[in-house]
Amino acid sequence: MVKSMIALGRMQLKKYNIYKSNFYLFTFNRIVEVIVYIFVWQAIYYQTGNTGGYTLAEMITYYILVITFSSFALWGVNEDIAHSIRNGQINRELLNPISYFKYYFGVNLGELAFATVVGFATFIICSFFWELVLPANLLDFILCIFVMILGVPITFFIQMIVGTAGFYTNSIWGMQILRKAVIQIFSGIIAPITLFPLWFQEISKWLPFKELIYTPVNIWLGNIEMNEIFFIIIKQIIWGIILYFIAKIFFNHAVKNITINGG
Amino acid sequence: MKKILDNISIYLSFLKIALKEILIYRLDCIVGIVSQLIVQAVSLIFIFIVFQNAENIAGWNFKQIILLYGVTRIAIGISGYCFDELYEIGPKYMYNGEFDKILLRPVHPLISIIGGSSEFVSLADFFIGLGITIYMLIELSIPITILLVVKIIFFSIIGALIIGAIITIFSISSFWTYKSNEVIWSFYNIYTFAEYPIDIYNTFIKILITVILPFAFVAYYPTMHYIGFNNYLLYLSPFIAIILWIITIKVWNIALNKYRSTGT
Repeated sequence: MVKSMIALGRMQLKKYNIYKSNFYLFTFNRIVEVIVYIFVWQAIYYQTGNTGGYTLAEMITYYILVITFSSFALWGVNEDIAHSIRNGQINRELLNPISYFKYYFGVNLGELAFATVVGFATFIICSFFWELVLPANLLDFILCIFVMILGVPITFFIQMIVGTAGFYTNSIWGMQILRKAVIQIFSGIIAPITLFPLWFQEISKWLPFKELIYTPVNIWLGNIEMNEIFFIIIKQIIWGIILYFIAKIFFNHAVKNITINGG
Repeated sequence: MKKILDNISIYLSFLKIALKEILIYRLDCIVGIVSQLIVQAVSLIFIFIVFQNAENIAGWNFKQIILLYGVTRIAIGISGYCFDELYEIGPKYMYNGEFDKILLRPVHPLISIIGGSSEFVSLADFFIGLGITIYMLIELSIPITILLVVKIIFFSIIGALIIGAIITIFSISSFWTYKSNEVIWSFYNIYTFAEYPIDIYNTFIKILITVILPFAFVAYYPTMHYIGFNNYLLYLSPFIAIILWIITIKVWNIALNKYRSTGT
């Protein structure tokens, strides 16, 4: 099973390989985004000597890591799922000897592999231009990566939910934008969560999105206590399970009740 | 001269048809507008968060930055509505041979293509921008005189033309790739730089957005003028737009001569 999922992932990665130029353009786009944020914070630092409780180097590192990790949290397969629903490909995919969820998880792995390559390239290029804060010890680094990996099922099941919405609407394009915006706001891609108003911080404490970006980056920066990390890991596992059931129930319900016109 | 005027009038009639097409897909239209609102919210939240930590950025206060954002949106809305089709030029026209049909028409192919734009989402952009601009002009207690309104309309159109010219230049990459245009996206992305006071950037980026890709003339210099920072660079905008379009059409025609059909 794992073997066939990896094979699917590799196939998806190869699709990206067809257009090599995409790789350079994606990387370039990400760097442009990060430059704006960094210059704005730099300007504030030179004026007030304060960047929201972080040192300037930490803030710059924060945004560079955000840009490195964000493709991991934002990219995915829901467009493919909606597409397969729309043109009837789903009929064939449901008959596959591999379950629909596992099939797309495999495809998702390919997406994530590409996201990793782009993220890594972005990180390397940015490290030429700015002085980065590196994790204080190896454990921090490993935990950071570990929390990132625990985020994979969470983002995947959210995508399955959004993709399944394709049964009900003609295009999930609006839903996609909504999904991305929610993740951007609540995961700390825009700015560190601690800079938001208190009520917002309280909400984001309970939602799973914070752990996609904000938490791993802060583990990297060494701002999170060890025992806190333990709770974070438990929270992520629980959220993964909850979202799994929601996605599964929603999907099964949709498949049973909706008939698709030919395809 | 007559030829240019003819082309423009044909373009305007294309535009009218496109506007009517929007009304066919009401639901898509609403979804588009709502999602655009959300996207705007994301950018505004960043500005909001930043100003929790500082009184001003390079002399610009919160309301002034939001005004800049609003004025930017107006120009982007117009340009998005008029030039959006250029993103599709690869998959929609080149890839399946539609472009060959357009070449046979008696109009310049560029007019046929940009005339086909009907990107209603950009209209959402436009109206959000308009709302923000009006609200911020009142908040900043800048008197809304007829002269100011005329200036905003005029320079927004000029700004849209500048963005349009840049998109058009980079759309020629589709002549060789036959696919949707990430190249345009990348250059368009550079626009983000011009949404903040350019004094915060280093010299390289300053030159990039004023000389190489003159995005700063779209909304930044005009907004400076509206706020009352004495700045007369905005009067250069029309000339920049004209020069850019002359270059664009020359480059496009050269690319057109090199075009080879996919044969489908």
